[in-house]
Amino acid sequence: MANPMEQFKIETIVPLNAGGFDLSFTNSSLWMLITLLAVSAFLFIGTARPQLVPGRMQAAVELLYDFIRDMLRENVGKDGLRYAPLIFAVFIFVLSCNLIGMVPFVHSFTPTSHIAVTFGLAMIVFILVVIVGFARHGLHFFSLFLPEGTPLFVAPLVAAIEFLSFLSRPFTLAIRLFANMTAGHVLMKVFGGFVVSLGAVNIGLGIIPLGVNVALTALELLIAVVQAYVFALLASIYLNDAVNLH
Amino acid sequence: MPQFDPASFVSQLFWFGVIFTLLYFAVVRPTLPKVGKVIDAREAQVGGDLDRAEAAKGAADTLRADHETAMKAARDAAQAAVAQARETAAKASDAQLKALGARLDADAEAAAASLELALGSARAGLETTVAELTSEAVAKLVGIEITPADVSAAIAAR
Repeated sequence: MANPMEQFKIETIVPLNAGGFDLSFTNSSLWMLITLLAVSAFLFIGTARPQLVPGRMQAAVELLYDFIRDMLRENVGKDGLRYAPLIFAVFIFVLSCNLIGMVPFVHSFTPTSHIAVTFGLAMIVFILVVIVGFARHGLHFFSLFLPEGTPLFVAPLVAAIEFLSFLSRPFTLAIRLFANMTAGHVLMKVFGGFVVSLGAVNIGLGIIPLGVNVALTALELLIAVVQAYVFALLASIYLNDAVNLH
Repeated sequence: MPQFDPASFVSQLFWFGVIFTLLYFAVVRPTLPKVGKVIDAREAQVGGDLDRAEAAKGAADTLRADHETAMKAARDAAQAAVAQARETAAKASDAQLKALGARLDADAEAAAASLELALGSARAGLETTVAELTSEAVAKLVGIEITPADVSAAIAAR
């Protein structure tokens, strides 16, 4: 049975070394590039000739964009709409990586199953929150760490906890996405292995894990979408802190 | 797990940075705001259309109210005219009826008077005829000559 971790292996395609750093173009880079091309095709076709009464592709783009804008309007308010393109970029990147990683038969790779990539995504959100927070509120942004009405004698403790939880956000954001994608893909691979090993014993026995894998595929597709949604939702909730200070 | 092998971190982060930068600045920024503008324009147009429809509905309501008032006034006027005409007609027919009644009464009276007259003359004629017949009959049957005047006197005496 194939090692279920093998699917996450980074394979160098074009070796590249700059200033002692290994910047090789790998299968992860390739599938991120494919994602970029797919998203570009989707967005450029969908917005080629924007019309008041949209065509199919424009309607699809609008649906997703409206989804992000509504989320920002709900969680941040009208001021949040300025960041809609960036949150949209994060959302569509995660969504496309997750979904394209599910394509069978082409040795597809899910870049978002790697913590380096999800951490990069989380840092974009984190840095955005910090920049927006200081730009809008200056040093007053630090009041985020002291919720209103905190009794003075616990203030240092509360501030320390709030600060730590603020710092842990990029990590939780990164780990949530990476762990979800990894766990789902491992599970699918394991049951795929069962189909072969049990099917070798008896064809009828192989049907059972196959059925499970069909269900898992549906579940994994759901997780691919839900995790992209959760990532964007948390990003907009964190953004709300920066814009409105609670 | 290959995920925790730091050897690939720099390469992954580098390519992620490159591709996400391209995605944001070369793909999302040039395309998405166009759609955003269209969505806003559509919302504005729909809002404007709704406002215009609201205004048109208001105008239509005013028109209908005006129409209804005018109709009501016209109906009242017509009813008043009909009532007046009916009253005038009733008065006229009353007068006509009264005049007719008076004429009929007069005619009836005249007729009654002439009838009385005719009856009187007829009765007078009848009496003379009876007296004459009686005197003739007495003369023929008994042979006594009695004048009709005597008979009349005898009848009147009874």
